[in-house]
Amino acid sequence: MKKAFTIAALAAAITLAPAHAETVKIGYMTTLSGGAGIIGKQMQNAVELALEHKGGKLGGMDADVVFVDDQRKPDVAKQLANRLVKSDRVDVVAGIIWSNLLEAVHKPVTRSDILLISSNAGPSTVAGEGCHKNFFSMSWQNDQTPEAMGKHMQDAGIKSVYLMAPNYQAGKDMLSGFKRYYKGNVKAEVYTKLGQSDFQPELSALRATAPEATMVFQPGGMGINFVKQWKQAGMDGVSKLYQVFTVDGVSLPALKESALGILGTQTWSPDLNNAINNKFVADYKAKFGGYPSFYAAQAYDTILAIDHAIAKSGSKDTDKMRAVLAAGNIPTTRGLLKMNSNHFPIQNIYLRETVKDADGIVTTRVTETVFTDHADSYAAKCKF
Amino acid sequence: MTLTLILEQTFNGLQAGVTLFLVAAGLTLILGIMDVVFLAHGAQVMIGAYAAAAVAAATGNFYIGLFLAIPVTFASGYVLEFLLIRHLYRRDHMEQVLATFGLILFFNELIRIGFGPAALYSDLPRSLSGFVEILPGAPYPIYRLWVILVGLACAIGIHIFVSRTRIGAMVRAGANNPEMTAALGINIKILFRFIFAVGACFAGVAGMMLGPITAVQPGMGEPLLILSLVVIIIGGVGSVRGAFIAAIIVGLIDTLGRVFLPAMLRSVVDQATADGAGPAVASMLVYITMAVVLIFRPTGLFPAKG
Amino acid sequence: MSGIRNLIGLVYEGVKDNRLLWLLIIGFALFPIITHFADLPFWNDVAMRIMLLGMAAMGLNLVLGYGGMVSFGHAAFIGIGAYCAGISQFYGITNGWVHLGFSIITCGFAGLVIGYLALRTSGIYFIMITLAFAQMLFFLFVSLEAFGGDDGMSIDRAEFGFIDLYDPLRLYFLIWIALVVVGMGLMFIVRSRFGVTLRAIKSNASRVEAMGLSPLRFKIVGYVISAVVCGIAGTLFASWQEYVSPDIMHWTRSGELMIIIILGGLGTLAGPLLGAIVFLLLEECLPLLLGAAAPAYAENWMILFGPLLIMVVMFGRGGLIGLLSQLQVRRNARSDHRGP
Repeated sequence: MKKAFTIAALAAAITLAPAHAETVKIGYMTTLSGGAGIIGKQMQNAVELALEHKGGKLGGMDADVVFVDDQRKPDVAKQLANRLVKSDRVDVVAGIIWSNLLEAVHKPVTRSDILLISSNAGPSTVAGEGCHKNFFSMSWQNDQTPEAMGKHMQDAGIKSVYLMAPNYQAGKDMLSGFKRYYKGNVKAEVYTKLGQSDFQPELSALRATAPEATMVFQPGGMGINFVKQWKQAGMDGVSKLYQVFTVDGVSLPALKESALGILGTQTWSPDLNNAINNKFVADYKAKFGGYPSFYAAQAYDTILAIDHAIAKSGSKDTDKMRAVLAAGNIPTTRGLLKMNSNHFPIQNIYLRETVKDADGIVTTRVTETVFTDHADSYAAKCKF
Repeated sequence: MTLTLILEQTFNGLQAGVTLFLVAAGLTLILGIMDVVFLAHGAQVMIGAYAAAAVAAATGNFYIGLFLAIPVTFASGYVLEFLLIRHLYRRDHMEQVLATFGLILFFNELIRIGFGPAALYSDLPRSLSGFVEILPGAPYPIYRLWVILVGLACAIGIHIFVSRTRIGAMVRAGANNPEMTAALGINIKILFRFIFAVGACFAGVAGMMLGPITAVQPGMGEPLLILSLVVIIIGGVGSVRGAFIAAIIVGLIDTLGRVFLPAMLRSVVDQATADGAGPAVASMLVYITMAVVLIFRPTGLFPAKG
Repeated sequence: MSGIRNLIGLVYEGVKDNRLLWLLIIGFALFPIITHFADLPFWNDVAMRIMLLGMAAMGLNLVLGYGGMVSFGHAAFIGIGAYCAGISQFYGITNGWVHLGFSIITCGFAGLVIGYLALRTSGIYFIMITLAFAQMLFFLFVSLEAFGGDDGMSIDRAEFGFIDLYDPLRLYFLIWIALVVVGMGLMFIVRSRFGVTLRAIKSNASRVEAMGLSPLRFKIVGYVISAVVCGIAGTLFASWQEYVSPDIMHWTRSGELMIIIILGGLGTLAGPLLGAIVFLLLEECLPLLLGAAAPAYAENWMILFGPLLIMVVMFGRGGLIGLLSQLQVRRNARSDHRGP
């Protein structure tokens, strides 16, 4: 009797005693300094908000996030990746805005048997031949968004289109993705200089061609310049403007009303109606004063994904987390996210219009779903 | 490719050239007279743009913004020369490059801290938005015409000042032979400070002109800086006339090149190659021009120092 | 026999006169031992970057410091060297010696062409024309879609016969050996008649011409040598980074090289290496410092870097080497005062 009681008491003590919580360490890499620092800042804000929403714990473990600044330089990024993996001994490396930086850090992280989760970059090599089982994307593959734009314009029966993008890899990817689905008449494919600030000459040439629609990709400051000048040149009367990654949460505060009415495609919008997104957008606005951009939403989703992986697998072991993530159905701001065989999401892509919300602030709103459960075009080339 | 389009693009090239001239004029004087490689000239453009945009946003009036921004940029140039630049006169070019490069970093970061990293909102004034048909069927933005006029006015102003006034004569003498000028008893120190401040002012005006049509953000001046350096090299260091002609040439080559070159290439090579090579060659065009000019005229087209 | 004895004698003389340089190089050899015991292996990565950057800076210093030619285009040679490795890997050529050979030949040729065209000018014109060539090469590589354009390409490390470069220390010492070779080579060049003539051209070209020598020829040769050195650094860099992209040849990278040279000390052998050490350490430490002192402004650490550069130019005559020799002079003076 006494023995059984002691054993029972011991057992009770062991199970009831608070277990010392394990810590999961995450290395989060973005660009925080320099011209593009604002994007990194939004992502950092979103990550901190996610941790706040999760009470500082991911999957039950204490979360320790190390933020590093890659300065948008590949050699700094590579060095930081090595540091996170070898010195800080993180369990997951995440973040990464730019495709070229992803190419630089991809190998050192994935071959160290640590998960690499991208919050934004998604070049075709990493989706196709250069894929690795330890890589996961919580954003999209670069071609997907323009593919949706191409499909929309094809379905809408637009006869002729004028294409414009900056002359670099992402620009070329955007336009080739567009042409994969748009089969109408491409009147011109113009590549502008990277960092160009004056588009008046291109607009004059466009006016002379008079295409039914114009599709542009001009990210960052280039987008602000382009849209401003488009409106100032009265081009709305000449052609209808469509865009990808040109009008977004980062450029809207500078564009304000001049962006109203412009249509674009994107995998996410602040007005997507689900519990996670509603809470994310409301709290982000309250805490940081302004709508989050898609960069922020993807960063938020990255933390949710890590939380999901640990909670479902019960550990932070790489193989176990990988299995959970590969199975998909990850709760994110875009709903339950499905995963493709190459570890890129299969997701909806929406047509968004720039509008004013109830408070008069300019933001984007979904008008229709162009693709449902769209997969990227490179998955077949990926063999782990 | 109609005549209308060519004419419209020529206007665009003129506008680009005139903006470049505003930046290059100060730079060529600073380099030619004081022999200082002042890389932070792009920062002066940025200061002018921010000053004008901030005042315009606060007062709601574009013209007040311009009016107050001009003395601000003049003052910034004056103070900068007094605090730092005058110590660089005796240093060699590389040290000047580094010190002014450090200035660029400092100013960009200062603006980032003061106004935030995001672009500032700025727009056209009501009075200058709208179009004018320069040719039937070619509506041209009034604002850009205004920029061309302002630029030309400044060019004429500088020309009159440099060639018809006493101070202008001193400036020309200083460009041609600084030592002799000083030996003649002219207060070189104040002259240099004045020239520097005026140069900064013109760069600031370029920034103010650009504010409404481009993004007002940290680092907005650097692309203009590189192009202006090319302009003053082609034009000849120290020569304002050279800077004007070279700026117009560069503006036209850059504008016409990037809109017409890909099409022209298509008649020579196949479509795919033209589409790929066209933009690359167009971006290189200005540099190729400069390299060619330097090979035949190693000191530019109109060098000030005989 | 006497030939070898002469050689050893020359090396000994050279090392004795350039103690700091060889002290630093030996320091790099011993560094991995420290990181091993402190269990900070990632610092080997920093050290490798420093050695490669220092190597490139030493190459540029030959024309910049000793020859007085302010070339804004040398980052392009680093880039060409890197792409020699990258393009070779793309076509399946993994032998590192082939990469190096390819790089030496290409950079030598490019240096010859650019040098021949650019060295007809001088002063600010020379600066601008080298900048122009660098920009043209940059745009060229950005437009080469086959090799990734500006996204760059991920590549494998080169194979140097029996040396497996994936073992981190092997790569470290390969770079170290290259540094020794480059250091030795440059040391001899600078002390040779060629080097002396080059320095004479910097201070008074017309006098050299009066002696019947052609300054242009010497400058071009110096330019080619510096281009090749930068190319070697670039090829090894590609292996370290396992990635090549046009970023390495952007003109701002040339500016970084110049900062390093001036920081360390223009026209000295050890200067560029010392400058590289300080520069990269600053890049690591300034953000940390600012983050600790004023966390809200951690991302704006460059606001400290700018004035720092200015102060180095204004007060750091002769860079860090100049500073060190000034301290040395003062110490000698003090000991003199103390009497026998």
